[in-house]
Amino acid sequence: MANKIYDVVVVGSGAGGGTLSARLAGLGVDTLVLEGGPKIDTRTDFNTHALPFEFPFRHIPIMKPGKPGYDGERSRGLGGKTQLWNAVALRFSQRDFKGRQHDGAGEDWPFDYADIAPYYDRIEREVGVCGNLDHLDDLPDGIFLPPPPLKCSDLLIQKGASKLGVKVIHVRKATLTKARGNRPACHYCGNCMSGCDVAAKYNSADAHMLPALKTGKLTLQNNSIVYDLPVSDEARVKEVRYFDRETRAQGVAKGRVVVVACACAQSVALLLMSKSSRFPTGLGNSSGELGKNFIPHITGGFELFLTELIGKPSVDDEGFLDHAYIPSFMHTRKRDYPRSFGIQFNYQNHRAAGWARSMKGMGKSYKESIKDRYPAYLTFTGYHEMIPNRDSYIDLDTENLDEYGLPRARRHWKLADEDWKLHNDMNRWCQAILDASNSEIHSANPQPATNHEIGGCRIGLDPKTSVLDAYCRSHDVPNLYVVDASAFPSSSEKNPTLTIMALASRTADHIADRLRKREV
Amino acid sequence: MASYSSDRRSVLKIFGAIGATCAYPFASDELYGQTTSGAHEHSPASAKAPLHFFNESDFATISRIADLIIPETGTPGAVGAGVPAYIDLVIARNTDQQLVVADGLRWLDSEAERAAGKKFVGLTEEQQLSILEPLCAAMDENKNNPARNIQFFSLIKSLTADGYYTSQVGLMEELGYKGNMALAAYPECVHEH
Repeated sequence: MANKIYDVVVVGSGAGGGTLSARLAGLGVDTLVLEGGPKIDTRTDFNTHALPFEFPFRHIPIMKPGKPGYDGERSRGLGGKTQLWNAVALRFSQRDFKGRQHDGAGEDWPFDYADIAPYYDRIEREVGVCGNLDHLDDLPDGIFLPPPPLKCSDLLIQKGASKLGVKVIHVRKATLTKARGNRPACHYCGNCMSGCDVAAKYNSADAHMLPALKTGKLTLQNNSIVYDLPVSDEARVKEVRYFDRETRAQGVAKGRVVVVACACAQSVALLLMSKSSRFPTGLGNSSGELGKNFIPHITGGFELFLTELIGKPSVDDEGFLDHAYIPSFMHTRKRDYPRSFGIQFNYQNHRAAGWARSMKGMGKSYKESIKDRYPAYLTFTGYHEMIPNRDSYIDLDTENLDEYGLPRARRHWKLADEDWKLHNDMNRWCQAILDASNSEIHSANPQPATNHEIGGCRIGLDPKTSVLDAYCRSHDVPNLYVVDASAFPSSSEKNPTLTIMALASRTADHIADRLRKREV
Repeated sequence: MASYSSDRRSVLKIFGAIGATCAYPFASDELYGQTTSGAHEHSPASAKAPLHFFNESDFATISRIADLIIPETGTPGAVGAGVPAYIDLVIARNTDQQLVVADGLRWLDSEAERAAGKKFVGLTEEQQLSILEPLCAAMDENKNNPARNIQFFSLIKSLTADGYYTSQVGLMEELGYKGNMALAAYPECVHEH
């Protein structure tokens, strides 16, 4: 194998790498996927259905005993973070791709919604996304399986929000509500983010890569941690250097094209580590923009009890976690900041009640107040976009090496004044919607936190201000691509994964076309 | 609120259907903790396990405080749910907490001596509550109150709540957790809103 030259070597097997490699294999392109983590058997390896009292410290480990894999959401394994995600699958809108045209801030994408729409269609057909046709201007409808009904608690929020003219819709998720191929329909156990052990929830291993093995064009190689992408004199990646996660034995893989898809900060880190005399500050960094423009989603957070449900009997309403979503509405209203926010809520399950420790009192009344509130408990979290700024970037921490001796990706972020205005307005709206829904607020955390890592390797038309071109290809290195959320020049407030998958599918077509024309 | 039946027969039937499409490898009893019966291997209530940190006397005091925080009502309280053994296990791993607890236990017995000339466990329930309730009120006022005795109470209350509501008794019997089931369809809400 050391001598084999693949058409494409893909680093990473998550939403980006999994989608792209399956598409390439389907097009007859000889593709090798290098995944840093172990092979995961979705059906047997996760502690999906465990309960806390099965463990002395009451913490449910992600993996079953003796099964290698994830020790946290950001760690490695076949399928990447799609094994543990919550499957929210939203299309970006024309406003999301052209935010700068809309409100003058940030950076636009080098294409329109219409250019990417066919790829959203393709992904939704391939993986199965449920949702309702809502006919909203800012959240394009897709090709949907029927959504599960809203929860009782969602209907209470919907009623409250409607008093303020705010819509609550069915969430859209890449979780099957009807069986498809070898994946059954969701059974609503409520443990989606513990690894869906029937793969009703999309993960890139079961839905994309494993079926693509039938083509004979896809090779999956696990436990291979890539640490360097050296370049030739013609500024092409000449090989992919990795070591074995367990034995640390070094290896080399060769491909005409190399695709980096390690999940945002890790992709940026790999390029920053791949220094050479040609690219002394990191691979493909002639612009100096590599690692810059880090724009993660910023969240707030409330915990609350719906007063109408306090004291009601406990029922099984776990479902597939959140069933509803509050899409952006501020983009059509008068405001003094750019961009907007959406709200995700009711995504907790009831396998524990960590909020009980912070309820007031002690004794019988304390115990009763917790029992009464257990069926009424919800989480409620706004997500907003931030505008790129020079204080928000990813770099390498060369002092603080990881367990393999590699520098860690270090994330820096800071909100500018306009982001703070958006953040504070989002929290005000969350509070107003909760008040209108007759909520008893249990905790409010007004401080910003990050979720969904985005940016650091943005696409654009100008090689001076962007790292990648419109097809996610390096401006500097003609056989290097990056397909994950690091490529996004603006983040939207909508969850990024469906757009990562659409971009990956589009890039796969582009790479196959270039290989066919012998351009690489 | 939505209502439907998820009795054992319907659960097994759904599993049959899943098995047909994806070779589901488990029997439902292995998979779903709440459909199995009998004490669990790690269930702290199942046996008198050796202590990891406390001596018998301190363990008795901690047990008493835990049971005053979450008493037996129609369902078992903290002691009935094996919470003190959980507290012992957690504190055995945390040297900062060990110091807080050592100071707290000493303070508690000196308060008890002063009030009634006995150790805390020897007091009446009313006397015990008259020592603990002001700590609870002060903690509710400000959970970051730096006073050592309030920190002690806050720690024991947090661990009691965590341990109780993650126990089989607390989660299943008291709260009535009903998730982790395989449903053929998600039930519509039948309430009028």
